[in-house]
Amino acid sequence: MDISRRIRRFFFPSLNKKYFLRLLFLGLSCYLIFSYLLIPLRIQGMSMDPTYRNGSFAFCWRPRYLFSQIKRFDIVTVRFSGRSVMLLKRVIALPGDIVEFREGLLYLNGKLIDEPYVQHRSLWNLSPRTVAAGHVYVVGDNRGTSMSRHHFGQVTIQRIIGGVLP
Amino acid sequence: MNKKLAILLILCIAATVYFLLPNDEKQIRNNLDSLAKYCSTAREEAALVGIKKVALAAKLCQDPCDIEIESRSIARSFTKKDLTDHLLMMKRTMPDTHFSFHDTVIEFPAENSASLTSTLSLTGQIEDEHYTDAYEFDINLKKIDGDWLFSSFSVIEFMEQ
Repeated sequence: MDISRRIRRFFFPSLNKKYFLRLLFLGLSCYLIFSYLLIPLRIQGMSMDPTYRNGSFAFCWRPRYLFSQIKRFDIVTVRFSGRSVMLLKRVIALPGDIVEFREGLLYLNGKLIDEPYVQHRSLWNLSPRTVAAGHVYVVGDNRGTSMSRHHFGQVTIQRIIGGVLP
Repeated sequence: MNKKLAILLILCIAATVYFLLPNDEKQIRNNLDSLAKYCSTAREEAALVGIKKVALAAKLCQDPCDIEIESRSIARSFTKKDLTDHLLMMKRTMPDTHFSFHDTVIEFPAENSASLTSTLSLTGQIEDEHYTDAYEFDINLKKIDGDWLFSSFSVIEFMEQ
């Protein structure tokens, strides 16, 4: 088969049973992959700025924590009642850790933590608190807003849907 | 071939009937969408339009309606007048805001009562700055004279500072 015929067949395949089966398989695969494994995310809001900017795109990689544990400073997706609207946050503390903010700086178990990903910082003050078992403490990278306007805190691990790509 | 066509036709008719026939779940979802529409405020929305929308939103709720928002220290019953007053105030403080409900799961724990969980998403502009917010709600409804009315709203605070 010459090359031009191959190209023509690639772009204009004959509409036979095999073609429709392939199309159905492709559609189903896309549905399963992009609904359950690699969920596309459109970032809305400045909570994770500058790591993820408003209007940018990313993916939620659901199998991320299937065989591994959540680590400190991982970026995770936190669900509400489903997977259509999710929060993108950074895990800053694990169960048993003591979290504290002093003048906008993060202290973990009494030690000052260097956070190179934070570029906007307000003078947050939060008294020390211990993360409960089965929970992780999540915060956005944009600390430029006031504490009252920022969704953060400890959240049960069951609410973590997966990691974020890229 | 004729048999296959007949099966396909029956399936199409069944699907059409299913989608067209009204049922409780559909009515609840419609009420939720209407509530979101009435609470949303278009840019430069006329005051009269706002008042009309707020009245329609209150009509979807039972009188009184319980509202609980722990983070704002709100936990009480709101009469229809309270509701319209608060909704009007909200519209004034949050002009150009779009409400929408997502991931709604409806259950019917008893006859003529329903409970649902849903995510309320807010998007809009305040002083030329784009903002988004989301809240998970636990909502109860009661069927009164054939209409599903919202009887309580409570925000699920799953993040504890």
